[in-house]
Amino acid sequence: MKPYDYISPKSIEEATSVLAEYGSDAKIIAGGTDLIIELRRPNAKALKVIVDITKLGELTGINSSNGSVVIKPLSTHTKLLQSSILHQHALLLSSAASVIGSPQIRNRGTIGGNIMNAATCADTVPPLIALGAQVVLQSKSGIRHLSLSDLFIKPYQTKAKADELLTEIQFPKLPVNAKSSFIKLGRRNALSISRLSVAAILFYDNNGKIIKARIVPGAALPVWRRVTEAEQILISEKPSYKLFTEAGQKVSEVMISYMGRRWSTEYKEPVIATLVRRALEQCA
Amino acid sequence: MNRQTISTTINRRIYTIDVYPNQTLLEFLREELGFTGTKCGCEIGECGACTVLLNGEAVNSCLVLVPQIDGKEVLTIEGLAKDRKLHPLQESFMNYDAVHCGFCTPGMLMSAKALLDKNPNPDEREIRTAISGNLCRCTGYVQIVDAIKEVIK
Repeated sequence: MKPYDYISPKSIEEATSVLAEYGSDAKIIAGGTDLIIELRRPNAKALKVIVDITKLGELTGINSSNGSVVIKPLSTHTKLLQSSILHQHALLLSSAASVIGSPQIRNRGTIGGNIMNAATCADTVPPLIALGAQVVLQSKSGIRHLSLSDLFIKPYQTKAKADELLTEIQFPKLPVNAKSSFIKLGRRNALSISRLSVAAILFYDNNGKIIKARIVPGAALPVWRRVTEAEQILISEKPSYKLFTEAGQKVSEVMISYMGRRWSTEYKEPVIATLVRRALEQCA
Repeated sequence: MNRQTISTTINRRIYTIDVYPNQTLLEFLREELGFTGTKCGCEIGECGACTVLLNGEAVNSCLVLVPQIDGKEVLTIEGLAKDRKLHPLQESFMNYDAVHCGFCTPGMLMSAKALLDKNPNPDEREIRTAISGNLCRCTGYVQIVDAIKEVIK
């Protein structure tokens, strides 16, 4: 790896000061499971400074307060998959974390890194968008609140400025009668990158009818979004194979309308429809 | 490039060392400390040959920067045997023919140890998940899973 200076700040103030000083000549490292691979590339851009934020205790933890779940960015995927708060209030996020990489990757990789790296295949993002997550970005000049779905410009690019640090992720708890799921399709059962994924949440009334739906595909669109065109099909209906198949086909159509027909479409077109149907069936 | 002074425990020995920050733990273990038991496979976290325990958790040492072990405990395959006795997992791997070429073995053993230290009685699914980050091209995994099961008994 090319040489760089290494700084390990002991406080968020120190971290944001360093980032303010170095801007885009600095890169933040936490788990390193994406960054170190980037740094090892032969044509990697030379860095002045690596800022190791892993000593910032204020950036760890998964907590719930009245109605919300608050996740700090240094939470590893292992912590997410083990969290009883997530099992109870956001099961799909815990499921997604459990299929990232491998145990070794999950022990190091963080939710903050997964978000800020913004790879198209990031597995925590579709669930967070389905959950309506908000994020907090902090810099020396202040604090910004953003909706997570507004954070992304394109793959590997977020709206965060070079001197900003992600400090919090928050979303409302799912009600008791909501069901959620996450399905990942990779080339193997573990150690695989998502080729397609689906995050789904169904909210029910007391008669078993769907009152709200969230469907967010992963690795399928240029930027993540809820597929409201498919969600609308489900409202006021009761779960059925036919209903979920229709919703799946709608997601497939929406995907093609964004991406056009490319080399992978012949495969992805029926597969995303099936994955959506299966994800919805898991929410029934 | 500034060197970092770190304090760490590796295989139960305390080290206070100056390290270059642009080195991975894998490189440091093999090339500076001579602990070549940890293997270099893909260097991108996709094979698990470099697996070591960091504060008891299995990690890919190819994806840890050396300064990040400051204040932490590292256990490599060289530290698995204790007081001149092999770990039960090592004995079992030998008895069950779970070692063919041997290249995945150190990583497999460390992942298995991480599992059993946290969960002394895993079922087959939990065993297979625990080693899902360790690729083996020789055995087909059956002997490895059986060897781990034997230790649980």
